[in-house]
Amino acid sequence: MSNLTLKNLKKSYGAVEVIKGVDLAITPGEFVVFVGPSGCGKSTLLRMIAGLEVVTSGTIEIADRDVTQLEPYDRGIAMVFQSYALYPHMTVAENMGFALRLAGHAKPERRKAVEEAARILQIGHLLDRKPAQLSGGQRQRVAIGRSIVRQPDVFLFDEPLSNLDAELRVQTRIEIARLHQTLDTTMIYVTHDQTEAMTLADRIVVLRGGIIEQVGAPTDLYDDPDNAFVAGFIGSPAMNFLPCVAASANEVTVAGLTIALPQLQTQLRQGESMKMGIRPEHLNGTNGPSVAMKIDVVEQLGATAFVHGMLGGDLPLLVEARAMRPKAGDMINVPFDPQHVFLFDANGDRIR
Amino acid sequence: MAVNSKKERRGMWAAAVPMFLLALTCLYPIYFALNNALKDNRGYILDRFGMVSDPNFENFVTAWGRARFSEYFMNSVITTVGAVFVLLLVSSMAGFALAVLRFPHRKLVFVLILGALMIPVQVILVPFYQTIIATGLLNTRTGLIISYTAFFLPFSIYLMTAFYAGIPRDLTEAARIDGARFFQVWWYVMLPMGKPALLTLGILNTLYCWNDVLISLLVLQNERTLMVGITALRGEYTTNVPLLAAGIVLAAAPIVIIYLLFQRHIVAGIAAGAVKG
Ligand SMILES: Nc1ncnc2c1ncn2[C@@H]1O[C@H](COP(=O)(O)OP(=O)(O)O)[C@@H](O)[C@H]1O
Ligand SMILES: [Mg+2]
Repeated sequence: MSNLTLKNLKKSYGAVEVIKGVDLAITPGEFVVFVGPSGCGKSTLLRMIAGLEVVTSGTIEIADRDVTQLEPYDRGIAMVFQSYALYPHMTVAENMGFALRLAGHAKPERRKAVEEAARILQIGHLLDRKPAQLSGGQRQRVAIGRSIVRQPDVFLFDEPLSNLDAELRVQTRIEIARLHQTLDTTMIYVTHDQTEAMTLADRIVVLRGGIIEQVGAPTDLYDDPDNAFVAGFIGSPAMNFLPCVAASANEVTVAGLTIALPQLQTQLRQGESMKMGIRPEHLNGTNGPSVAMKIDVVEQLGATAFVHGMLGGDLPLLVEARAMRPKAGDMINVPFDPQHVFLFDANGDRIR
Repeated sequence: MAVNSKKERRGMWAAAVPMFLLALTCLYPIYFALNNALKDNRGYILDRFGMVSDPNFENFVTAWGRARFSEYFMNSVITTVGAVFVLLLVSSMAGFALAVLRFPHRKLVFVLILGALMIPVQVILVPFYQTIIATGLLNTRTGLIISYTAFFLPFSIYLMTAFYAGIPRDLTEAARIDGARFFQVWWYVMLPMGKPALLTLGILNTLYCWNDVLISLLVLQNERTLMVGITALRGEYTTNVPLLAAGIVLAAAPIVIIYLLFQRHIVAGIAAGAVKG
């Protein structure tokens, strides 16, 4: 069973195709995050699901109903906007109860639903204020409260944290995760921040240029990316990419170092140029062949340090060093554990 | 605005002198009318420009009683209130449509409305008059209300569109997601949010309608509005100036009161119309 299904969904603005055929099935109660660089079509896709953008072709089903042509309200969704979009002339309680008022619910009933939502979000003391009298974080809660009151089948969030300061962002992120546990409703969450995606999602949908690059659980995307884009986008700091050459069917040479990759199922063609990816956090073990690197810059974080250097003089490399205090100018030994090496072909597709 | 340097202060003074003279040209006629309205005819003839020595309110009573003045007053109130109400209603809806909705050729529609803003009333007096006759609206208050609406609508729509264009789109979208249908978006969100602009427009249009002579002269020929009616206080050969002055003061009073009450909004509104859009 699926709660939300997108079938070959496309959207064009004039001659420009922005969403180029998206297929996706979301199960009830799932927390799905759309992530991708700015301009890749995340908001457009979300707004199509909400019913705020006309669909060029394809279908949207919510709770096994084709809603492609329905008005937003008839789709059983609620949306939290990046700008919060609270009605400035209404009090918090009126904002939160507006949908119920339009649906013709009586005042006591509305009040009860609003108070229940306010209790969950701990904003009961703000109900009589106007949005202008609230802080950013409080407005954010009211916007979420407004969507809860509706009891929708699907919650939609469009970059809800991007207007908050760093500390509040982390705090609210945790609260949204908690809210998802409490309500157990399907949530679709748009962000360009891979950390938000990793921490919140049951499943991440990585978008680029209007198409899905990969769908999967956060750890799947991290451990087993399908292509160089996903590999580079997921994980912080980003993966290192180094040009390499096949030395034999299952060996590659990078910066003069030859690494055997026994796990490889594909036979490499000797002399083929490829890209090798390895995450900074996987460059500090003891396994595998190693190469010396001169340190340029050290970003010391206490528990770990980000060490920037050049491999073989011209290949920039970032190493996350644990349990050591390297200094700029030092030489360190960088080991390449074959287990953590990814190979990508000239198109950026993964070679497994 | 803080005035910090000597040069700036001198600049302020340079601006203040012509401003003061300009203000004087507006204030003096008001003083003249008020001052003479309190004299009797004899007092006026003996000393036109001096301060009144024994003020009395006889003239106001006479003017009010003379020439169906109270009827004229009612005509003015009804047509002004009616026209302003229709103007606000229509311009708020039109502004919503032009600023928020996406429909084909909406830019063209807006440009046409702006174009109408540039046509002076005088240019189209004849076809306007013929239309009024043809539609049977001559000598009706409804006709005058519709005429005022027609003439003042372009500016009102322009102002409302500019105002609504500044309201984030998210708000109307949030309302749609909350279940507001087309008219409910307007009624629950756009109308209340347009309050500052509507207030300004209400005041400006009240001024225009109340002070109008030309349109009213054409449409209401048997009946009269106050501004036209005042002329009835003029004699054929001689004019009782204090009586006329009292009439003018009576006619201008409501507008001056409104002006004093809402000064800030008028200035803000004119500025908004000038900058936005
Ligand atoms: N109303 C519109 N008209 C034309 N192009 C648009 C419109 N809205 C968005 N786009 C384009 O569609 C692309 C995707 O936009 P958007 O979905 O907002 O990206 P994201 O939310 O991922 O940053 C962008 O290239 C943007 O320029
Ligand atoms: Mg976006």
